[in-house]
Amino acid sequence: MNTSIRHTVVAGGISGLVAGLVPALSLDVNSPGTMSVGPAGWGAVSVALQLVLAMLGGAGFGALVRDQLDGRAATAASGLLYGLLWWIVGPLTVAPMAHGHIPTWSLRDATATFPALIASLFYGGVLGGVLPLLTGTFGNPRASARCEPVVRPVRRIVILGGGFGGVSVAQRLEFLLARDPSVQITMVSQSNYLLFTPMLAEVAASGLEPQHISAPVRAAFLRVEFRHAELETVNVAARLVRTRAAGAARIDALHYDHLVLALGAVPNLRRVPGLEAHAFTLKSLDDANRLRNHVIGLLERADVEVDPHERRRQLTFVVVGGGFAGAEMIAELRDLVHSVRRFYRGIDPGALRFVLVHSGERILPELGSALAAYARRKMEARGIEFLLGARMAAAHSDSVVLADGRTVPTRTIVWAAGNQPHPLLRSLPVERSQSGAVIVEPTLQVKGLPNVWAVGDCAQIPDAFHEGSSCPPTAQHAVREGIAVAENIVAVLRGIAPRPFRFRTIATLVALGHRTAVADVRGWRFSGFLAWAMWRTVYWWKLPGLEKKIRVALDWTIDLFFPRDVALLTASPSVPQGLDAPEPGRGASSVPTPAAPPPPAT
Amino acid sequence: MKQRALPLAALRGAVAGAAAGLAFAAAMRQSGALVTVASIVHASPAGLDFVAHLLVAAAVGAGFGTLVSSERLGVGELLFWGLTYGMVWWFVGALTVAPMLLAGRAIWTVAAAQAALPSLFGHLWYGAITALIYAAITPGPSDGRPRVTGGTVGAGVLAGVAGAWLLERLIATQSPWLGTTGLSLATSSPAHRFVFLTGVLGGLVFALLYPQPRDAAGPGLIRGALFGFVWWAAAALSALPEINGGGLAWSLEAVRARFPALPAFVLYGGLVALVYRWLLAAGRLLFADDATPRDEEGTGTRGLRAIGRGAFAGLIGGLVFTLVMVRVGFLPTVAQIVGAASPWSGFLVHLVIANIIGASYGLLFLGRSVGTGSALGWGVSYGFFWWILGPLTLLPVLLGGAPRWTPQVAGALIPSLVGHLAYGGAVGIVFYLLEVRYNPWWVPHTELMAAQSERRRAEVLASASALWVLVVMLGLTLPIMLACGMAPAYSGTATARGAYGQSSGEAGPCP
Ligand SMILES: Cc1cc2nc3c(=O)[nH]c(=O)nc-3n(C[C@H](O)[C@H](O)[C@H](O)COP(=O)(O)OP(=O)(O)OC[C@H]3O[C@@H](n4cnc5c(N)ncnc54)[C@H](O)[C@@H]3O)c2cc1C
Repeated sequence: MNTSIRHTVVAGGISGLVAGLVPALSLDVNSPGTMSVGPAGWGAVSVALQLVLAMLGGAGFGALVRDQLDGRAATAASGLLYGLLWWIVGPLTVAPMAHGHIPTWSLRDATATFPALIASLFYGGVLGGVLPLLTGTFGNPRASARCEPVVRPVRRIVILGGGFGGVSVAQRLEFLLARDPSVQITMVSQSNYLLFTPMLAEVAASGLEPQHISAPVRAAFLRVEFRHAELETVNVAARLVRTRAAGAARIDALHYDHLVLALGAVPNLRRVPGLEAHAFTLKSLDDANRLRNHVIGLLERADVEVDPHERRRQLTFVVVGGGFAGAEMIAELRDLVHSVRRFYRGIDPGALRFVLVHSGERILPELGSALAAYARRKMEARGIEFLLGARMAAAHSDSVVLADGRTVPTRTIVWAAGNQPHPLLRSLPVERSQSGAVIVEPTLQVKGLPNVWAVGDCAQIPDAFHEGSSCPPTAQHAVREGIAVAENIVAVLRGIAPRPFRFRTIATLVALGHRTAVADVRGWRFSGFLAWAMWRTVYWWKLPGLEKKIRVALDWTIDLFFPRDVALLTASPSVPQGLDAPEPGRGASSVPTPAAPPPPAT
Repeated sequence: MKQRALPLAALRGAVAGAAAGLAFAAAMRQSGALVTVASIVHASPAGLDFVAHLLVAAAVGAGFGTLVSSERLGVGELLFWGLTYGMVWWFVGALTVAPMLLAGRAIWTVAAAQAALPSLFGHLWYGAITALIYAAITPGPSDGRPRVTGGTVGAGVLAGVAGAWLLERLIATQSPWLGTTGLSLATSSPAHRFVFLTGVLGGLVFALLYPQPRDAAGPGLIRGALFGFVWWAAAALSALPEINGGGLAWSLEAVRARFPALPAFVLYGGLVALVYRWLLAAGRLLFADDATPRDEEGTGTRGLRAIGRGAFAGLIGGLVFTLVMVRVGFLPTVAQIVGAASPWSGFLVHLVIANIIGASYGLLFLGRSVGTGSALGWGVSYGFFWWILGPLTLLPVLLGGAPRWTPQVAGALIPSLVGHLAYGGAVGIVFYLLEVRYNPWWVPHTELMAAQSERRRAEVLASASALWVLVVMLGLTLPIMLACGMAPAYSGTATARGAYGQSSGEAGPCP
């Protein structure tokens, strides 16, 4: 803002005075219907009052058009417009009120004050003509370029991870620092899109297109600098982050003033032997695609399989983990297979098995027992088997072995029974929980490092509402944590104390496939179709951007009328992964190998 | 360079002004009253007053050249500047300076304005011609004015056809009140043909004036609405009466009689502008070889946010408007839209409507305000448009009647006009404040962003201010001048009367 507001307001006041003189001189102020102020007969007092008002009006005009004083025609025209509005506010509204009448804005009043309308036009026109003269922009109309000069940022906030937590931090920072170009906001992420995980199971089940649930993060930002790169190391002592540009060997070093860790979690596949080689996970789009192709590939094979045992294995689908991710996954798998079964005429529907293995005594521990029981009933009625209280002991290419010795012959094992915070965090010199999550203060600052913050699945955050427990690893929380971190960082930048994070889960919604779901909204329980409608509405609304919303809505509409797509999109669909040997590289995308420990802090 | 450019622009303006002065004089002679500054020298020998008139016209034209010389404007933009300029000179010349010199003081009453109404159209005519000639004799900006191509002409004609369809329909509803103006579509088929051709031709002219409109849909809509007014003045007030041999219909009575066609033309113009834009966009999408580098994002990208912010702004605007609604007792009428009667349901309906219109403002005017001044300008213009579309058109239809666009009705709805302007102003400013809370355009983060912001700003300011002020100036003064002094509105049904304001005696005597 080149022309300071005080300057223009003062200049506006003077212009207003000048402009006020014009109608005052050209008309008999006490003639009815002019801009006269005060009772008739006040004469000079009335004129003086009128001039004061004109001056105030001019100051208001100065404030209003302070951004556009650089075109003489534009300012003059704005003055005229202002004059007209001034007529509405003054003679038509305030004047009757000042005389104790209620304004009617009627034709009668408008007619009576028509002379004042023209006077106001003159006033506005002169005002708009004189003001640029006083602010010195008349002769040089483009002199007051309105943009501020581009400022080189002097401080930098680096956000690691572009998931729910990271994007939420960045968006909030962008808003809070909109007028402060001295702070640069940089995001480093391995993926250049925000993956909408709640709908990932539907992608795996061929119900949604992968791209439709992945929103490019760049589209969400106006000024955040985005770097598509992988984090290599963090040196908290030197406040330095090293990143490797995606697909390149170049290592960049980024200095930060504040660092936000939002790297999320990865599936923990080390717990059970054979998992890494034989289990599918559901954490990324790759995972979802792979699982979808695998299932369809199996159907293709089973359709022509002659060995009844092998066919049984091929048609048995096992999901391990009875939390909401596992429950949603098995339900979606069942929907997929039943939706496309008609294409595979060699498959007996009775031969299909869907098994959920869960170590607890009831599924969906996140929900109350009534809802969990409902979910189980519903899913059992649809042919899903539950192996409860069953721990998985080993995974093989052709079976799952449970701790009690039972075996389930299968070619499909999906692991949904446990994640661990991002392994890179292990290299940080910070306090970590048993699972490896970074322990943070209630303000979300990493213990002992006030300029390092952590949110989302990679952090252990004390739950303000439940003493001793920590916030659950959900997107719902990650987003709020992100907002809180952004606000706290800005507070710290401005020398204000950060505030503790407080958020209580609003709702837990679990989709059970085929237009049923369960929902717990702050203790209000819903189930069945209503809950399913809620699920769809809520998550659809939460999808980032209008475009994705439209695309997903279309996908859902198509799903109502057509079977799911069984096009196999892999190069060699006939060999489902995990069948014989572990496919090289599988799992690598889900479980990044821990990086080398950081250089010792100096 | 500046030093030479200004006198040159003034000179060009003078030439244009003198030429326009000729046209003005011809028109005034036709309509019988030469109310200009020059008329003060009437007494002098014949011919001298004409010379004086031309001199004044040239001087005023020079002023125009000076004023617009710093802006990079296309023909269409200059036209609106010319019209605005002409109208201002009507206030200055016909209503102020001339009476001052003749009678010793300015006469600013409605009666005086009514008497000078032919001169108003003369001044608009003068301004338009000055602008067009000025545009013709001024070299365009260095990067060239947008070119007229076969595509633009085609799009214009198609938009004109769509507009003509609407225009015919709308004017047909007004047939009972258009009487002997030649516009009544009740029986005559020449009238049908005239209206249709006018509509199509309007689309073509619009395309020639704005070969490649760069602004967003909202500003385009306002531009189109204003073009509708121009086209009404050109077709209904000038061309048709001329064809019918009655001379220019610029007198008070003649304009009053043709006023019912004006809202039709305004809505027509809005539609033409929108369809034209969409056709051009579709054409670009389908046929352009190279995707011209566009730094603007699609509406969808920030559309949802804009809708949200617009809806919020609409709510605030709606609350402001409520003050007027309550005062004039309009809420029960609004309630009738949903078949209710209480003021409270009226209030709810009103807020919902305010909300929806606000959301549409957000979509249409997204990123088009570059300061509170321009926000106010767009807002009030949009508010005016909705005065025509809402209480004058849709409301009577929703209440089961038909729109009636006589001057009395417009006069009775002046409180509503004030409300709509207040609403629009509030929406514009609130929306702008919300917008810059997230994206203050004046804080650029790169040189590229700075250049983009500056360019958009220059674009908005250079062309838009003329639109806003012309819309409000005409919107406020025409209904007052035309309605004032007419017999009480009419004794229709209670519902219809309610739709147009509570008392039919609104159009009172003219002081
Ligand atoms: C199948 C499934 C369903 C779910 N359903 C729900 C649900 O319905 N509701 C709900 O609230 N939550 C749900 N969740 C949980 C939710 O997805 C997570 O809680 C949330 O994503 C956590 O956000 P985050 O930002 O911590 O991590 P993430 O969203 O996982 O983001 C981590 C980011 O870090 C980046 N990254 C990782 N490593 C590196 C590296 N080395 N260098 C640079 N960048 C890196 C990644 O690219 C990613 O952008 C679901 C999760 C899954 C897997």
